[in-house]
Amino acid sequence: MRSPNRNAIRLSVIALALAALARQPDAAAGPPVPAASASASPASSRALTPPLESANTCVTCHAGLADPKLRAPTTEYSSSVHRDDRIGCVGCHKGDPRDPTAGAHRAAGFLPHPSHAEIAGVCGGCHSDAGFMRHINARLPVGQQALFNLSLHGKLSGAGDTMAPTCSVCHGRHEILPAASPKAPVNRLNVAKLCAGCHADPKHMAPYQIRTDQFAKWERSVHGEAFKKGNPLAPTCTGCHGAHSATPPEASSVARACGRCHEEELALFEQSPHSKGFKKRGLAPCVACHSNHDVAPASSLHVGLTPDATCTKCHSNDEKPLKAADELAGLLRGARDRAAAARAAVARAGDEGLHISGAPFALDQVATAELKLRPVVHTLDPKRMAVAVAAVEQAAAAAEKLVTDAEQGRRIERRGYYAALALAFLLFSTLSLKAWQLEGRRRLGSP
Amino acid sequence: MEAGGRRTGWLADRSGWSDLVRPLEARRVSATGFDRYLGGITLLLFLIEVASGILLLLYYKPDTVQAYASVGRIVGEIPYGNLIRNVHAWSSDLFVASLGGHLLSVVLRRAYRAPYELRWLSGIVLLAIGIGLAFTGAVLPWSQKAYVQARVGSELARYVPVLGDWLHRFLRGGDEVTSATLQHAFGFHVAVLPAALSLFFAVHVVLLMRKREETAPVEGASIPVYPDFIIRQAAAWTGVVVAVITLATFSDRLLGSPADPRMATPSDARPPWYFLWFHQIVASSSRDLLGVNGPKFLVGTACLLGALVVGLPFLDRRGWKVTAYLALVLVFVLVVLSVNALS
Repeated sequence: MRSPNRNAIRLSVIALALAALARQPDAAAGPPVPAASASASPASSRALTPPLESANTCVTCHAGLADPKLRAPTTEYSSSVHRDDRIGCVGCHKGDPRDPTAGAHRAAGFLPHPSHAEIAGVCGGCHSDAGFMRHINARLPVGQQALFNLSLHGKLSGAGDTMAPTCSVCHGRHEILPAASPKAPVNRLNVAKLCAGCHADPKHMAPYQIRTDQFAKWERSVHGEAFKKGNPLAPTCTGCHGAHSATPPEASSVARACGRCHEEELALFEQSPHSKGFKKRGLAPCVACHSNHDVAPASSLHVGLTPDATCTKCHSNDEKPLKAADELAGLLRGARDRAAAARAAVARAGDEGLHISGAPFALDQVATAELKLRPVVHTLDPKRMAVAVAAVEQAAAAAEKLVTDAEQGRRIERRGYYAALALAFLLFSTLSLKAWQLEGRRRLGSP
Repeated sequence: MEAGGRRTGWLADRSGWSDLVRPLEARRVSATGFDRYLGGITLLLFLIEVASGILLLLYYKPDTVQAYASVGRIVGEIPYGNLIRNVHAWSSDLFVASLGGHLLSVVLRRAYRAPYELRWLSGIVLLAIGIGLAFTGAVLPWSQKAYVQARVGSELARYVPVLGDWLHRFLRGGDEVTSATLQHAFGFHVAVLPAALSLFFAVHVVLLMRKREETAPVEGASIPVYPDFIIRQAAAWTGVVVAVITLATFSDRLLGSPADPRMATPSDARPPWYFLWFHQIVASSSRDLLGVNGPKFLVGTACLLGALVVGLPFLDRRGWKVTAYLALVLVFVLVVLSVNALS
């Protein structure tokens, strides 16, 4: 099925090039034609583009049609990536490009309205053909259709569900933009809104009986906040769910999604008593404490015994876990206070006008050591936490030592200043005394 | 009997010290007025500049990429680097100030009169070199402030009549403030100008020694140059040292942010304080004054006035009292202009 497609396109290129050459003289006299191209040949040069554009025979007629339904595609197409890559109308709709009249519609395989179920096949005709795609853009992946067929979206739409998305629902139809374009709905900057278009719509989701609050939750999550601040690593929907292969992660696989970025946390979690316990009870790792779409910043989760602590949500009466939580909380509190003290000492030194060139680096070290405490929480092991806390204390002590050294240096400088002052005073007195003595002697000497 | 009867020390006897100071013992100077010590104070400040400057030179890197960081290292890492940089910066201001004070004192005492014309001229050269040292030194940290001062200062030079365009290019080492400006400022600051200053200082002192007693009768109470005047000078020096180390210990000369040529010159950009009057003349004069370029006309007038100051001993051979009053008026005008430039 792929091969005829490709051949049709190749044929169309040759035919159109010929048609263009033949039509060139009267092209200028013809009706104004919106920019469009019908070439898919990587070999055609830019110099040939103007005649080829005017030779998109589909556009020649359709641009002048009164019915907006038949006319609109010609303008929509003008900004599409397919136009840039010179994939013409016939690339998808087939028909006979050699016939510049309505006779073109009568060719075998002409596809004026691909149905919802047909669309994936139309796109895949080229996009799943690595041999063809490498002529257009060798860096573009070619497995989208296969992945899509594996996804829940693909399974549903393949089964004839027109509510489930197919390619054109996310990527657009005639006006398809490359994913790298900030205007493209599938661009990283827009994709969360694109997903929300259906997934946050209760009416649309009603038949599937799934929640519609994911987007709102994500927006206020630590991921959403980071995304809004422009962090290029912050995940949007596709960061965890994948794009073409979008599938809801089950309790058993969610940790893999989180662990793709939060490697250390996952590794340490798997060594913890929680890992086994969660598996036994069928609880989703990560999500039980952090939730999923509205994952909160780690700093707002409290380890400890207080009512607002995360631990007490499950462990209200368990003696041993609560003891560990209390110990961990104490260690974390100690590290936090120690780091705060080091920061305060450096700030105080700055206020006093002390120059400590190593201070920003030392504070970075403290912050790094503090950041390393977070993964260790997942072990639930106070002994391992004590080691991490010791690193914070060490970094804080190093920062504080810089401050005390600088203060000591200043004390020495001040002491030196007062010694110099005393010396200057002594010298001044001696010189004054001498001057006074000389003057007195001269007065006595002179009559 | 005089020489034999003197109590000379063991060292003085062997080092020839007594012979060296004998002419100074015979020379007498007026005992009144603190301003008589300003010349010596200027010399001490120059020596402090040389000593602290050599220490800074051990760590400074004259390169637009490294200059700011190397000064940052002096301030933040090198033991006592900040103190020494403070000493260097404060002494430089005091040096220019005491040089100006010395000049004013000479005018007010009318000590420029014949036969001291050469002494006056060598002093004017020393003033020019001193200001050159202060200006080139201000460029070296390559902070934003230094960069802006280099631009504004060299821009002002454009308004000097005749020599303006040449001076503008000379100060910048080209048409723009670039790495060449820094490289040139460094060379002049550490080699050309200190050497020239030492040379002209030697000339200045030799001309001082040539003073003939009979033509300059000392008014009022007088003291011998050695030991009385020298001892009082030394007492004044201790005072200056105290002032410098106090300023350097308690008042940091902040480095500011690194130079960023992409940033526009701020509207409140000012040259160093000793050029503020100049800046004010250029900034406040209307573009067009009686059909000629306003700033150029006023600066031209100021330069003419400067030329009169340089030629003072030849214009005013007798030492009119009115010269002293005019000098005071001129200083007042300069101070008013400088204060206006700041507000």
